[in-house]
Amino acid sequence: MKGFDAQFTDLPDYILKITKEIWEDRGLTTLHRYYAPDLPMRFPSGIVTGNRGVIDGTLATLAEFPDRQLLGEDVIWSGDEDAGFLSSHRLVTTGTHTGHGAFGKPTGRRFTIRAIADCAAKNNAIYDEWLIRDAGGIVRQLGMKPKRFARDQIKAEGGPEKASRPFHPADDIPGGYTSRGNDNEWGTRLADILTRIMDKDFTVIRADYDRAVRTEHPGAKGGWGWDFVETEWMRLRSSFPTAKFEIHHQIGRSDPAQPPRAAVRWSLTGTHSGFGAFGKPTGTEVHVMGITHAEFGPFGYGGAGLRREFTLWDEIAIWKQIHLHTGACS
Amino acid sequence: MKGFAPKWRDVPHFIIGITKEIWEDRNIGSLRRRYAPGLVVRSPASVVVDSSGVIAATMATLAEFPDRELLGEDVIWCDDPEGATATSDAYLSSHRLICTATHSHPGLYGPPTGRRVSYRILADCAIREDAVYDEWLVRDQSAIVEQLGFDVVEWTRDLIAREGGPDRCVKPMTPANDVAGPYKRRGNGNEWGQRYADSISRIMSADLNVIPTHYDRAVNLFYPGGQVISGWSAADNFWMGLRAAFPSASFTIDHVIGRDDPLMPPRAALRWSLHGKHTGWGRFGTPTGAEVYVMGMCQAEYGPFAEHGAPSIRREYALIDETAIWKQILLQTGAHA
Repeated sequence: MKGFDAQFTDLPDYILKITKEIWEDRGLTTLHRYYAPDLPMRFPSGIVTGNRGVIDGTLATLAEFPDRQLLGEDVIWSGDEDAGFLSSHRLVTTGTHTGHGAFGKPTGRRFTIRAIADCAAKNNAIYDEWLIRDAGGIVRQLGMKPKRFARDQIKAEGGPEKASRPFHPADDIPGGYTSRGNDNEWGTRLADILTRIMDKDFTVIRADYDRAVRTEHPGAKGGWGWDFVETEWMRLRSSFPTAKFEIHHQIGRSDPAQPPRAAVRWSLTGTHSGFGAFGKPTGTEVHVMGITHAEFGPFGYGGAGLRREFTLWDEIAIWKQIHLHTGACS
Repeated sequence: MKGFAPKWRDVPHFIIGITKEIWEDRNIGSLRRRYAPGLVVRSPASVVVDSSGVIAATMATLAEFPDRELLGEDVIWCDDPEGATATSDAYLSSHRLICTATHSHPGLYGPPTGRRVSYRILADCAIREDAVYDEWLVRDQSAIVEQLGFDVVEWTRDLIAREGGPDRCVKPMTPANDVAGPYKRRGNGNEWGQRYADSISRIMSADLNVIPTHYDRAVNLFYPGGQVISGWSAADNFWMGLRAAFPSASFTIDHVIGRDDPLMPPRAALRWSLHGKHTGWGRFGTPTGAEVYVMGMCQAEYGPFAEHGAPSIRREYALIDETAIWKQILLQTGAHA
C-alpha cells in the first residue's frame, strides 16, 4: 500500500494491527503518528478534535477498564491510496469495570458490547473518523438504566447548561474525507433496505431478510428471525416518525472467504414526536448517528437474503438530547 | 436431484422446504412418505424407530408449543454416491435451525409456563427418493429448560420420575441401544471439513493451544444453553469444560462435511462422539464415574483474518444435549431420587 508502512499488507491488516498496537498493547503515544494532529472524531456523544484528545480519552477508558479487549470482527472498506481509504471496522469490546470514570464508581462487572468505527486513512494515518459505541449496552451490563444514566451524566457534567452536547450536524467540522463510498451492488442493496424501513415500508424485512437472520442491536440485544429485527426498527422509527433519514456513506464488498457484505453510515434528524424506544414523545429535536453492517447469503427470494445484521446507535446520546430539551435532568 | 420432486432446486431447498411443510404447515402425516419405513432418528435423549414414532413425538411437541417456528440457518451438505440407487441421487444434509416457540400447553416440560423460548437444532439427514432414510439430531435441550425457568439437573431428575422412574424412563442414546441404519458414510473430503475436524480432534487431545491459531480472535460462538459469546477464552472455556469432565473418554469424529459455495464463507459440519467415564471436574460437576455417551454436532464458518491472511474460524455453533448427559449420570449414580 503506497504511503503506508511496509509491514501492512492491506487495509484490514493496517486497521487490525494499529488497533491492537494503540489500544491493547498500550501504544497510546503512537497516536501522534497514526492519528492526524487535527482529526475530527465524531461520536454520538459529541465531536472531539485532535489526537491529544483521543490519547486522553483512551487513558481515561483504560483507567476505568484496564483489561479492555478490542476484538476485530470485520473491516469493510472502500477507496484507495490517492483518494483515501475508508475502513468501517466492527469490534467486540469486553472489559471489567474496576476503576472510577465516566460510568461512575467501579461495579466490578464485566461487559461485552460492539462498536463500529468508520476511519478515513491515507499515508499511514487516520485523518477523519466517525465512531459509535454501544454505550447503552455497557450501562445495562453494569447494572444501570440508559434513561437514568443519561440524566446522571448531565448532573455529573455540571447540569444542563454546562453538560457536553451530543453530536449534531450543525457542529460538524470537515476532516477532509468527502467520498460517499463505492457503488458495489451489496452496499446498494443494504442502503435500499434501510431506506425502505425508514420509509415505513416494513414489507422489506420479510422480503429481503433471511428468515433465520441474526441481528445484533444497541443495548447488546441480539435475536433471531424477522420479528426481532422488525420490532427493533419499528421502535426506533416510531420514536422519530417525521425525522429526516439520510445515508452518508455506503460500502459493498465481495471478498474471498467471506460472504457478500455491506456497511452503511446513516442518520435520523428530527423531532421526538412518537412512542417507541424512548418513552412518551417530548418534541425534542434529535440527531441519531447510525452505522449498519450486513452479511448476505443465498437463502431468500431471488437467491439472496440478509443473514446477519449489526446496527449501532447510541441510546445514551439520544436520552441525553431528550433530557437536555425537557429539563428532566434538573 | 434425480429421484426428488422437480419442485426442489437443490438440497438446501428440499431440506428447508420439507421442514416447513411437515412441521410448520402441519402436514405431519406426510412423514409416512417423507420418512422412509423403519427410519432411525437418533438424538442424545432417545433412539426413535420409524415414522410412526416421529409423528407421535411431533404431535406431542406441537401440542405443547403450538406456535413453534423453525428458522433454517444453514444446510451444509455433501453428495453420497454410494447411497444412490438406480432411481435416485443421495445426499447427507447437516441442517442448522433456530426454533422459537411459546410454552402454552402442558407436556414434556410440565404445566405451561407461558414463556417464550428460542433454541438451536442440528440435524443430519440422509436423503434419497424424495425422502429421509437415516437421521441424527441434537437439540439444545438445556436452552429450553433454562428459558422455561428450570434448573437443568433438577428438571432432568424430575423427568426421570415423570417418565416412570429409573427402570421405565426413556433411555438416552448409547452405543448399546443405537440401531444401525443404512447410512454408513463419513462425509466428503473437502478441505474445510478436514480443517475443522483437525481443530476439534486436537482440542480433544488437550491441545487447546490450537484455539488462538485456528479461531479468529473475535470468533462468534453459539454454545449449549443458548449461549452467544465471543473470543478465544470463551471457546477455550467451553471445550475445556467438556473434555475435563470426560478426560479419558474416547473421542470419535463420525461425520465430516466441508463446503465452499457462492455467496457463503467456507464452512464445515461435524458429528462426533465422546464415550467413556465421567471421571473429571468440569462442566458436569463432581466426578461420578458414570459411563456416558455424548453425541455432539457442530458447524463452523471460516474467514480470512488470521495472521498473514490465513483462514480461521469466525463462527462456531456447537451442540450437546446436557439433559441427556445428566440423565445418564443420574440413572447410574442413583442420584435420580
